[in-house]
Amino acid sequence: MIRFENVSKVYARGARPALDDVSVDVSRGEFVFLVGASGSGKSTFLRLVLREERPTGGSVYVAGRDLSRLSSWKVPSLRRSIGVVFQDFRLLPNKTVHENVAFALQVIGKPRHTIRTTVPEVLEMVGLDGKEKRLPHELSGGEQQRVAIARAFVNRPQILLADEPTGNLDPTTSLGIMRLLDRINRTGTTVVMATHDDEIVNEMRKRVVELSTGSVVRDEVDAVYGERESILPLVGQTPVLDAPGRGARAVVVPRVQVSPEPADLEAERAAEAAAARAASQPPAAQTTTEQVTPEPAVPEPAAPEPAGSSADDVVQQVLREHERVRAGREA
Amino acid sequence: MRLQFVLTEVLQGLRRNLSMVVSVVLVTFVSLTFVGAAALLQTQVTKLKGDWYDLVEVSVFLCPTGSTAPTCADGEATPEQVDALEQVIDTELADVVANTYFESKGDAFEAFTQMYPDGYQGTQLTEDDMQASFRLKLVDPEQYQVVDDVLEGRAGVEVVEDQREVFEPLFLALGRASLLAAGLAGVMLLAAVLLITTTIRLSAVSRRRETGIMRLVGASNLFVQLPFMLEGAIAALVGALLAVGGLWLAVQYLVTDWLQDSVDWVAYVDVGDVLLIAPLLIGIAVLLAVVSSVVTLNRYTRV
Repeated sequence: MIRFENVSKVYARGARPALDDVSVDVSRGEFVFLVGASGSGKSTFLRLVLREERPTGGSVYVAGRDLSRLSSWKVPSLRRSIGVVFQDFRLLPNKTVHENVAFALQVIGKPRHTIRTTVPEVLEMVGLDGKEKRLPHELSGGEQQRVAIARAFVNRPQILLADEPTGNLDPTTSLGIMRLLDRINRTGTTVVMATHDDEIVNEMRKRVVELSTGSVVRDEVDAVYGERESILPLVGQTPVLDAPGRGARAVVVPRVQVSPEPADLEAERAAEAAAARAASQPPAAQTTTEQVTPEPAVPEPAAPEPAGSSADDVVQQVLREHERVRAGREA
Repeated sequence: MRLQFVLTEVLQGLRRNLSMVVSVVLVTFVSLTFVGAAALLQTQVTKLKGDWYDLVEVSVFLCPTGSTAPTCADGEATPEQVDALEQVIDTELADVVANTYFESKGDAFEAFTQMYPDGYQGTQLTEDDMQASFRLKLVDPEQYQVVDDVLEGRAGVEVVEDQREVFEPLFLALGRASLLAAGLAGVMLLAAVLLITTTIRLSAVSRRRETGIMRLVGASNLFVQLPFMLEGAIAALVGALLAVGGLWLAVQYLVTDWLQDSVDWVAYVDVGDVLLIAPLLIGIAVLLAVVSSVVTLNRYTRV
């Protein structure tokens, strides 16, 4: 799906290359973490995939296209097969949630009836059902990122690129976003995520490609983030500065506890419910048409109904009701 | 769908930097008014030339008694000299002269008494004060110089006069006015191009977020740039329409209703001429907008 063959990228003449002889092959449906320090070339990697930059050496193949031979008027068609999510969400502040997601379809000339059906679907999938009319500033960071993901995914791209999507979010909210990306990955979408978040990488156990000063230094399946380079050896005694809780396990550093916003939790719950429903539905009812590889038969482990609080039961009941009404309308 | 979306974008863009749009409209309005005025002045000159050159003649005045001109040293032109001149006109100037009319002293006096029965400015003149002349109607009034070269200095010819010379100062003045208008129009058009460029750039920068997302999700180049182009084109078009309207009003009230009433023996430009130059003005406006937006957008919204 994405293949880099000895790719080099030098931004300014004489400067250190941002990427130096990088060869990476990402196959269809894979989930790849791109890790490395700031300036190691992660963003350049993503920009090359999007053909925002052209390599100074080597070739880049994305979704069967040779990007070095791709004429500039075909670039839009390439980008329609790639969704992108950023650390800073990049939502349009004067458009509602629904309009933000619909915008991505409008500007590539999708007909109105397609927009009317796909946008609510994808919003339900990311767990923002019922918040269509909110403006971005009325949402929490996690919810905003969900909108951004919905916008990136609404056209059902073959590839989803995420450039530190959890960089602005607290750990719990980040986890919700990761579950969402994982769910998207399970629909057959190739996901490449650049990140600094070691906790997430360690927890997900996916393929990890580590870049360092423009070269691939590690490419492992089921990997962890890896040891941090001790860039400040003298400060190693006070790990708080560099990596709280890491490297000096004996020293118990109290971590800042952040409890996520109730809205984020609710969104996550709704998204999971939507996923559970999608998994339990027969594949025929699946509306995602293009290039959807068969859903894994095993329902998501995290998907079962969150038991316990009665509020959850009510939410579930409402959602089920909603679903029944919708099914009735479609029939 | 697409069209509606583009139009919404255009409207939003126009609203967002309204003051810039208004200034674009005004600058194109003023510059195109100058362009139009130059064109109308040229039309006026052509009309006058067409009208008046049909009437003008070349007068070959023959020597009267007591003339001080060197060719008239022998006194009044004799009938032989007149015949010889007529011969020359019929042969050497046959291609140039369409019509020859000989006005004798008697004819001239008759015409004079008809025009001024009570004498000219209080003086009673006699037939001997008159001057015989050839009136030559030329095939092409511009060929006066040929006639002058052939006849000037011949025996019996006092002076060759082109009636066109009477109009020359007027045409010169009109020509210079139209040049001036064209020059001002040039400067204003330059200002218009720069202003449209700045406006489009501002608009593009203020919507960088949108265009960035459009490019990321794979909107085509045309789709990204079209709203900006349309914005520039609409502003320029409104300016052009205002210019046409302004010229229309000026011609209607200043020329047709006022000048034509006071000086009615001249053919003037009318609103029909304004309509004739309207496509020119609108064309210039659209061209301005397209050129400036293509130049700007290639730099600011390239994929």
